[in-house]
Amino acid sequence: MKKRILPLLLAGCLAVGSLAGCGGDTAANTGSAGNAGGESAGGSAGGATTVTNDFDLVTVDGSTHQYKKYKDMTSENITLTYFHFDQDETVQLLAKRFMEIYPNITVNVQYENVATYNTTLSTLVSNSQAPDVIMHSDCDYALSNMLLADVSSFWNTDDETKGLADTVNSAGLGTYHLEGGQRYSVPVKFFPGAMFIDRNVLETLNLKVPTQNWTWSEMIQLIKDATVLNSPDGMAYYGLGYYNRLDSYYGIAARQDIIGEFGFTGKHFDLSEWAIGEQEFSNLKLGGYIAPTTETQAMEDWCGDWEGWAGNTGHAAIFSEAFWTFQNTWNTPAYHESYNLDIVPYVIPAVSSADAGADHHSIATIDYGGITTSCKHPREAYELLKFMSFGVDGWYTRCEIYSDESIVNALGTALKYDVMPVPITKDQGVWDEYIKVFCAGMDDEHVQLWKDYFASCMQPISFGWTNIAGYWNFCDEYFNAIGIHDLVDNGTAQAADYVEEANRKADYYHAQAMIDYFGPTGYNVLSESEIETYNKMIADNQ
Amino acid sequence: MAETTKMSRKDKKALKERMKHLKSGKLERRYARMGYIFMIPWFIGAAVFLAYPLGSSFWYALNNIRITPLGRIFSFVGQGNFTQILIQDPDFMIYLVDYLTSTIISTPIIVVFALIIAMMLNMKIKGKGFFRLIFFLPVIIVSGPILGMLTAEGAGSISAIDTQSLTSAISSVLPDIIAKPISDVFNNMITTLWYSGVQILIFLSGLQKIDKSMYEAAKIDGGSAWECFWKITLPNLKSMILLNTIYTIVFISNNSENPIIVLIEESMFSGTKEKGYGYASAMAWLYSVVVLILVGLFALLLATRKDQYEKQVKRAIKARKKEARNKKKIERRNRRNAKKIERQRAAGKITTHTTDRSDY
Repeated sequence: MKKRILPLLLAGCLAVGSLAGCGGDTAANTGSAGNAGGESAGGSAGGATTVTNDFDLVTVDGSTHQYKKYKDMTSENITLTYFHFDQDETVQLLAKRFMEIYPNITVNVQYENVATYNTTLSTLVSNSQAPDVIMHSDCDYALSNMLLADVSSFWNTDDETKGLADTVNSAGLGTYHLEGGQRYSVPVKFFPGAMFIDRNVLETLNLKVPTQNWTWSEMIQLIKDATVLNSPDGMAYYGLGYYNRLDSYYGIAARQDIIGEFGFTGKHFDLSEWAIGEQEFSNLKLGGYIAPTTETQAMEDWCGDWEGWAGNTGHAAIFSEAFWTFQNTWNTPAYHESYNLDIVPYVIPAVSSADAGADHHSIATIDYGGITTSCKHPREAYELLKFMSFGVDGWYTRCEIYSDESIVNALGTALKYDVMPVPITKDQGVWDEYIKVFCAGMDDEHVQLWKDYFASCMQPISFGWTNIAGYWNFCDEYFNAIGIHDLVDNGTAQAADYVEEANRKADYYHAQAMIDYFGPTGYNVLSESEIETYNKMIADNQ
Repeated sequence: MAETTKMSRKDKKALKERMKHLKSGKLERRYARMGYIFMIPWFIGAAVFLAYPLGSSFWYALNNIRITPLGRIFSFVGQGNFTQILIQDPDFMIYLVDYLTSTIISTPIIVVFALIIAMMLNMKIKGKGFFRLIFFLPVIIVSGPILGMLTAEGAGSISAIDTQSLTSAISSVLPDIIAKPISDVFNNMITTLWYSGVQILIFLSGLQKIDKSMYEAAKIDGGSAWECFWKITLPNLKSMILLNTIYTIVFISNNSENPIIVLIEESMFSGTKEKGYGYASAMAWLYSVVVLILVGLFALLLATRKDQYEKQVKRAIKARKKEARNKKKIERRNRRNAKKIERQRAAGKITTHTTDRSDY
């Protein structure tokens, strides 16, 4: 008997073992999702459909700030999942504070590196484990998979959304420019565009420091003036050390009606402005005004280090580095001790003097987020999304977190120095706190410079791929596929030669994406006239 | 000597028919049942993890799929995904040619390197276990992201080899499409050699199974080490060579560093409307067919090739048999002729003339 039981038992164990890997809740629903996603998040899952703006002020342990606890939030015990690629320690602390304000809501934070973000999110979605609130980078991925629910009913009734940087509403950032006024995304992380100037270099070269109202041509002239290839100290000075290309900045700096670096105006693209910027940047490169990039022979020849970086040579005047480079690198104690730099921020200049003299649009890195179409508690998810992104209370909490340098990331770096974003809200209280944190340790002159900069960068326009349907596909299948940047940069082609074709291609990809994402087989929110317009654009540019 | 009776074809058929109706014994039935029970996990595993995903993947390949939080949306496109890949996706064809060329070049390099190392590790040396560990370690450590990081840091190439000169030399004599994968092999020589850990183990087990008396016999007959390798070691490892070749091709084809795998993954999660799960599945199917053909070609090449020694032995046996047959034939003919002459002589048809030598 024993002899019979043993093999049976072993066989059973093997069978169970082999099947152990196929756990999971339920299989993904196969079939048409129809136009369920077309309904607003508020309307699709019951519960509150708007924000009543009726709240109690509450305090939580360890904070002096009074938080708004909205009365229209559920009193049931619920769990919300927040899936993100933000700075994880900060998000964990924000989630903790949110749960202190709303003790009945459990926030499950899931972090994923941006490189594998879409892959992991797709896996979760296909396993019917879609999070409630997500961040997204390229909008094409999020829209083509109908991840995002319409949050316009919440957005339009929420008082706080009126106090954001002007362009969020005026340029329709996150709306995808639908005539019906639907909003699927909200800005989560905001990094304004900046031109950083090393004042010590200008002083050495006896060049005049520009004003905050400088124009594009003044910047180009300064780049040229600051380039001294045969300097007395034996090491060349370059006018520009670049991370972001100037052509990405130029389109938005040239015209105030452009929404995205390729001249998008809401329906059509016009790359003629981009072409001017592209050509100008190419000419600067070919003219030797731009510092060598890292891991090149030119860099090795310039500063004797293959892996060198223009930003710490003390021989580059202007930088088109990302905003976070300042806190992340230049403002760290190690850099202050090791390098003699005096880096100050400037807003990206406008092309015309009239625009430059006033607040004008400038490009910004904005990551968006939204509520997923399968979310069961959209009102509460919206509040969580707001707290994590543009909400005033969330930003007070962020300032608390950033000001405490004992809170560190996995590498032991204080969170302030680890990719700290900028508030997109204009709330004065938040900005006072933020300036205190950001400018800690700076002298009055530098504090004033940063205040001036922040005041002038609140007209952001985000990079097109985050905010324009079809943009990613256009870049992936046309622009980058034929390598326009390289061709123009090395002088084998002129940017202007591509304008006509690129306009047609960009319009085609955009129109096709709008029909696919928002047409009858997608969210189904396009009006008859929109469908007609986009179909005509497809036919005209086929 | 036991007398064997030959069965007629009819009898054999009847016996077969009778065997069909014969009931097997209790013990035999129990063994059979146990056999099936032990096979159940494999059947379930194969059905759930092989047959079902294969079927699903083929169905996906015929559709355009959107994975939304509310469910999957399928739009049937037939062969559309395949056509698009073959006609409109230049990357796929370029990567495929690169893959084929580099696999054809690197597979023999890996297998031969593994064989040499396995033979060295099979010798009587001190710290044999430690050296075996060293060669197997990359299999455990160098995988996924670590391999990517090491490659990015330039650890994949041998610094002593001037790969740039080698690349330019190859490019000057060969077309780009062939020159690039060849130079890639030299640029990633270390990585290629790291892939040989498992193959070394397989060869080692094969080497340890070879009967030592064969070497002793060969040495007594004056065989050198070189001759022993060609006449004993290699013929005995023939099946292992085939196994390792197939393993190497499959490993290279499924490796996360493989650009086609990266391309398939990118297509899977692409926001582009035409791409997605369906497009990626179609790409995976096309790729699988190519890999299968490659495996088949290598298998054909190695499985049908018989070694020279075996050939010679067979030829000798065949010649000996033929000789024996001819000898028997001649004997039979001689006997037949002798009988015939005897009969004719008896009938007086033949008269034998005898010549007396003394006449001369």
